[in-house]
Amino acid sequence: MAVPDEDADLVRSAIGGDDEAFAELVRRHKGTVLRRAARFARDHAELEDLGQETFLRAFRDLRSFRGDAPFGHWLSRIAVRVCYDALRKRRREEKDVSLEDLAAPVADPSTGNGPSAQFARILLEQAMSRLKPGDRLVITLFELEDRSVREVAALTGWSETLVKVRAFRARQALKRSIGGDDGR
Amino acid sequence: MDDKRHDRRNGKLDRYFALARRSTPDISGVERGFETRVMARIRESREVREPWYDWAWRLAPVFLALTLLLAGWSVLYSPAPPADPVAMLDSGSQEVALLDNLTGE
Repeated sequence: MAVPDEDADLVRSAIGGDDEAFAELVRRHKGTVLRRAARFARDHAELEDLGQETFLRAFRDLRSFRGDAPFGHWLSRIAVRVCYDALRKRRREEKDVSLEDLAAPVADPSTGNGPSAQFARILLEQAMSRLKPGDRLVITLFELEDRSVREVAALTGWSETLVKVRAFRARQALKRSIGGDDGR
Repeated sequence: MDDKRHDRRNGKLDRYFALARRSTPDISGVERGFETRVMARIRESREVREPWYDWAWRLAPVFLALTLLLAGWSVLYSPAPPADPVAMLDSGSQEVALLDNLTGE
């Protein structure tokens, strides 16, 4: 197995049963995984769950890692899949919740200099919670992580056309929800 | 779509996106000791996943080898029946006579 990245030895050792090697992989990649999951998690408990689920799946499927891409890329795809699954599960649970039950947009605490970054994040989170899981995943990776269409397609396993369609659909829905253009 | 993406960032939505990108979520609380908790869950899942059929599958080659060994042994070491049917009857009647003698009949 040719693993062209610095995690190669650790991956081999972990496959061979060395738990400490896998712990080191978790240590190296937890920041990236958790930062991504935080874009989808509602609270710290859910963030912990998403992060743990990502690494548990990685551990379970470690033997299927062929090593034709860096370990971090492989792990990113797992993290995206875990977040997508969580969004779909949440969507099923929230089926009965009407839009009125969702929290109303919070008031912007900043004054004078336009909306604050935190306000924008919370407002977008509320608006995006109404999107379909696939649309939300794409728009988050595309707009908040600043990924290209090709990168989003590689991370999700969807075609570039489908990614574009979902991004467009999500933008339209968000524009309707929070207002798209203000004439400037 | 990618190349022109930043050119068309002039609406309210795009300004919100730009602002939200700057706001990095706080993960420090979860990050602390995270690998310890992950490894604990991995160990836990290993302990849970030790049902009897796991052991049965692991022992399957041993059972197979044992079966083959017994089959080979029975083929190689089973005594062949006498070729002469009269001798076979004779040996049978001798056994019956011996039994009768021993039991006093």
